[in-house]
Amino acid sequence: MTAIALRMTGADLLKLRRKRWLVLLSLFLTLGILAIVYLVTVIQHASAPSNHGPAGGVEHFGDGVRVLSLIFGPLAAILIGIEAGAGDTATGVFRDLVVTGRSRVALFASRVPAALLLCWTVMVAGFVLVLVASNVFASGLPTPGAALIFNSLGFILLATGVVCVVAVGFASLTTSRAGAIVTLIAWQIVASPLLSSIGSLGSARRLILSQAIGHFSPVSTEGRHGTTVAMSTGTALIVMIGWLLIFLMLGAWRTAEMDA
Amino acid sequence: MATHIESLCDSGKLRERWTRVRQADPESMTSRSTTGEEPSGADLHAGSPAIETRALTKHFGERTALDGVDLHVPRGSAFGFLGPNGAGKTTMIRTLLGLTHASSGEMHLLGRPVPAERAQALTRVGAIVEEPRFHMYLTGRQNLRLVAAVRGPEADALIEPALARVGLADRAGEKVKSYSMGMRQRLGVARCLLADPLLLILDEPTNGLDPGGIQEFREMVRAMVEQEGRTVFISSHLLDEVERTCDAAAIVDRGRVVTQGPIAELAEGGTRHELILGVDDPGRALGTLQGSPLVIEAHASDEGLRVVLAGGPETAAQVNAALVQAGLGVMRLEPVRHSLEQRFLEITARLDAPAEGADAPHEEVPS
Repeated sequence: MTAIALRMTGADLLKLRRKRWLVLLSLFLTLGILAIVYLVTVIQHASAPSNHGPAGGVEHFGDGVRVLSLIFGPLAAILIGIEAGAGDTATGVFRDLVVTGRSRVALFASRVPAALLLCWTVMVAGFVLVLVASNVFASGLPTPGAALIFNSLGFILLATGVVCVVAVGFASLTTSRAGAIVTLIAWQIVASPLLSSIGSLGSARRLILSQAIGHFSPVSTEGRHGTTVAMSTGTALIVMIGWLLIFLMLGAWRTAEMDA
Repeated sequence: MATHIESLCDSGKLRERWTRVRQADPESMTSRSTTGEEPSGADLHAGSPAIETRALTKHFGERTALDGVDLHVPRGSAFGFLGPNGAGKTTMIRTLLGLTHASSGEMHLLGRPVPAERAQALTRVGAIVEEPRFHMYLTGRQNLRLVAAVRGPEADALIEPALARVGLADRAGEKVKSYSMGMRQRLGVARCLLADPLLLILDEPTNGLDPGGIQEFREMVRAMVEQEGRTVFISSHLLDEVERTCDAAAIVDRGRVVTQGPIAELAEGGTRHELILGVDDPGRALGTLQGSPLVIEAHASDEGLRVVLAGGPETAAQVNAALVQAGLGVMRLEPVRHSLEQRFLEITARLDAPAEGADAPHEEVPS
């Protein structure tokens, strides 16, 4: 990365992290919801230990990882990616950046690492909570080992990172924050699980991004997050890279060609 | 009377200045030359006009927004781009800056062909298109930091001077959403200054400003031109504003540049100079003047005798001498100041007159 690219990424990150509602909502979707879940579980366990197990241990660690990687983490990643992709256009600042003479593709490119930095910061904060809770509230249950911890962190960053980058590209393509939010969240929480569950679609379901991402999960997703479509690691990689390339290229193309 | 004659001669001074700026003396026209810094790439074309277009055309579907525009904006001047709403002013600016693609024609900014060398040309161009937009939840200073990051490291050092230049240094730590329209306009100008611009392009810059703000803005533009040697291109539909602020202007209507040149000459409609005379015997004075080679036309009006001079503004003194020699007492000798507004209305009214679809007349103002 050149010095100017780093400066531009820093500027894009400034825009994102100073957007209070974005940061707060992203933290709520990760830290907040997990904290509520842990609080409820701890209270249930304290009030009726025979009916409710401890909030910690490997099993609840897995639940936390699934929440961050496949359920609420991607929603936060979508919000961050969309703000990074469409924020300048929506506010009208994009044209002021274009008239600096800087390449439009460079303007697009700086959005991606900025969005990833904020997204991953939020995810790491959520993961730290999951890790601490799984140990503190273990009450004698086995706790996650180092390999599972590192694999899980890597998976969360991969899963949310891919979704975040796709969101940057999609928002840059549509240039509409509201439209992109509705479309991607609907895709993530309604269309993807629905399409995955339609058996008649067969192997075409491998093209669904969440299925490809789920392939790399170090914790079981079988029966925990809708239907799981079996695929090879190579197929999962190709599908993920395909989604990334298509939306990055479309976002860059639109940013370069549109009337500012 | 001397004052009146001097003011009449102002248009001559303006003509000289127009000629001077068209020659674009590189030493006096570039802002960085005054600081002793090495010129950037854009400065290497210092002898060229700030903006030059040839047959620039822009179509939106079947609608023609710019119709073969030929524009020549000399360096070191405040240049007005004047036209009614919908005339194509903003489209022209957007096309020049690469915000939208031209359908055909040639453009040069600071001597560099656009879009071929757009990036290099824009390094020394600051622009406000339509209204200045910002991230409202960021402070004024943070908004400038965003643009400085895109422009390059040298722009960081210009943030505080730019804020001070527009009088926002004390409020730069406040969020932009708390700024008035006038403050946002000034912050927009500060953002332009991060380029240390040789050329500023401002689209309707006085929109939303109160009279005090307009006066401040006018003074700032004049200082940028006269003290810093920058070129300021101002698009406006406010004739009075352009007349007060700019050295030269182009009048645009329906996507065409109808006429361009120094303000005084645009207002005069060429090189015509007129006087209002107050004399003790108007009838005899009229007889004297109508036979004089110094005068093209003379007639009585409610204000006094209205005289069209055959020569330049210096002819006024000769007319005065001729009247005195004829034994007439001259109580008043006042140059007629044509307003750009009158001229603008004349031109646009003439454009309305021909049948729909007929070619609009194009005028040339001597320069």
